[in-house]
Amino acid sequence: MSHAEKATIFNKNEAKVNWHDKALWYVREKRDNAAHNVKEWEYLRDLASAIKANVLSDLDTYLVEFEANALKNGIKIHWASDAEEHNAIIGKILDDNNAEKVVKSKSMLTEECHLNPYLEAKGIEVVDTDLGEYIVQIAKETPSHIVLPAIHKTKEEVDELFQEHLGTKPSNGNPEYLTNEARKHLRGKFLKADVAITGVNFAIADTGGIVVCTNEGNADMGSHLANVHIASMGIEKIIPKEAHLGIFLRLLARSATGQPITTYSSHFNKPAEGKEMHIVIVDNGRTEQLSREDFRASLHCIRCGACMNTCPIYRRSGGHSYEATIPGPIGSILSPGKDLTKHSSLPFASTLCGSCSNVCPVKINIHEQLYKWRQIIVKDVKQPIVKKSILKIAGSVLAKPKLYDFAGKSARFMLKYTPRFMIYSKLNAWGKARELPEIKNENFDQWYKINRKK
Amino acid sequence: MGRDSILKAIKQHKPDLLPLPEIDGARFDDDVNLLDIFKHNVTLVGGSIKEIDKTLIDQEIKKQFPDAKSIVALAEASSLGTISVNKQTNPHDLATIDLAIVNGAFGVAENGAVWISEKESIVRVLPFITNDLVVILSKEQLYLHMLNAYDAISTRDRSFGVFISGPSKTADIEQCLVIGAQGAMSLTILLV
Repeated sequence: MSHAEKATIFNKNEAKVNWHDKALWYVREKRDNAAHNVKEWEYLRDLASAIKANVLSDLDTYLVEFEANALKNGIKIHWASDAEEHNAIIGKILDDNNAEKVVKSKSMLTEECHLNPYLEAKGIEVVDTDLGEYIVQIAKETPSHIVLPAIHKTKEEVDELFQEHLGTKPSNGNPEYLTNEARKHLRGKFLKADVAITGVNFAIADTGGIVVCTNEGNADMGSHLANVHIASMGIEKIIPKEAHLGIFLRLLARSATGQPITTYSSHFNKPAEGKEMHIVIVDNGRTEQLSREDFRASLHCIRCGACMNTCPIYRRSGGHSYEATIPGPIGSILSPGKDLTKHSSLPFASTLCGSCSNVCPVKINIHEQLYKWRQIIVKDVKQPIVKKSILKIAGSVLAKPKLYDFAGKSARFMLKYTPRFMIYSKLNAWGKARELPEIKNENFDQWYKINRKK
Repeated sequence: MGRDSILKAIKQHKPDLLPLPEIDGARFDDDVNLLDIFKHNVTLVGGSIKEIDKTLIDQEIKKQFPDAKSIVALAEASSLGTISVNKQTNPHDLATIDLAIVNGAFGVAENGAVWISEKESIVRVLPFITNDLVVILSKEQLYLHMLNAYDAISTRDRSFGVFISGPSKTADIEQCLVIGAQGAMSLTILLV
């Protein structure tokens, strides 16, 4: 199904779409307030972007440096070319430790690799411990947002899910009650887990350490209790120096939720005494993206989600309409690199307004990359015949001023005199759920000529 | 194998070397009252903060947490501890801790965070698994922003350390902020 078709389904519940739209815009506003309170915010963005560009231009050196430093500190390092290798490596670590129970904190990479179904097929219990991820896990869904995984669910829906899975009492979706019940349930899971799996926000080449950021404390509850901690990271998570965290941590949470920093920014440099720590470094298509000059900068992403919160399309179509692990504007420039045919509708899920690029803390030119993907897609992927012919006609009309003028006049005439039922018919997508503008007699060109004389 | 093929692919595909930018730290300097900003931000992130005389710490904690029974006190300024911990303590044994009292190494004004390393918490899980967390912090130990903070820990013995900004929280149910997710339910900073 294309993005537009999936978005149509999401738009059937108008009240929910309106809530979704407003809730995410509110997060965007909180981001603005937080950003405006920081002296030299734009300089921070410039630095972050330049550091990431340097990282990509010397990524192999940094990865080798990171590995050497981590090994020195007793951390075990694994490399995985693709999702299959990633899952097999984790499967083997679990086997080696006779692990049966796993707690996970948020990791978009393990979602990308479909780790949960792989482990479940091996008979291992996997519990997602971020509250939003836990909600989508018991609902047998995927996250619809990378920072707010259950943003598509109403509190009443969560209430019902918890009644079924946790035996809670009906509460009309009381967030305090439901969160506290989840806390009690997840405590039990943390205390019994054999292995904790986390993501990685930043991997630091000059120390061999990693930083994991959460608000809930779930990554720490998992990793400090279990005997084995496995952290999965994409190759692009590297930053050269620990001091650079002073740049990235100032940007990350402010861009994501408007908080000045996440509640917990945990720095793991050595396994605790008597425990094991593993890091799995994953490619899974990233080196291919690195080879594409126009799209390389998409690997700067620090997964804050700001581009989703600000995107007028994302807010009104919901994360699931993208059918990709990473939805929204950034997902729409990452996903075509993985499977151009499957994700060919995503770069069109944009007005090219550029708001995503404006809020991006690492200054990825998202809207320009969306446009560039479109150029490739119309060449490589079959386009609907209606779209093709309409664009062809539009092209020839726009190339000829006289024809354009005539077309404008006809359109104004038609809009003025055609019966309403014909204008607001199925054929005119612009008449769906909105009133078309009132028609004036002259076009802008004529209006300007008249008014300039005044 | 993964390693060699990944490194080879990167070498093949990476662009020409781009320089690492110099960071002009002076541009972030700001002539502000660190204490005021720190206090403001601790409150903003859901924590509570109080300036207090060192001798009145235990009295204050008892007043704020009258029901706390299982207490781990690692800050020498408090003698309320009922459970002692050391490096060999099994972290699972701390599951029923009501209150942990630890020193904070320093605070960061711009975001209300405190740095707590394994040196201060002894057992890594302690500041997370405890129901309530009290951090004793010297008001002399404040930095303006994170760049300064990383300068301050640049020569530490690295094992585990965490910036904690407020109590654990979530807004995953309809964006309603709920304090007390999987980590500590409250964070109190006592400034001495």
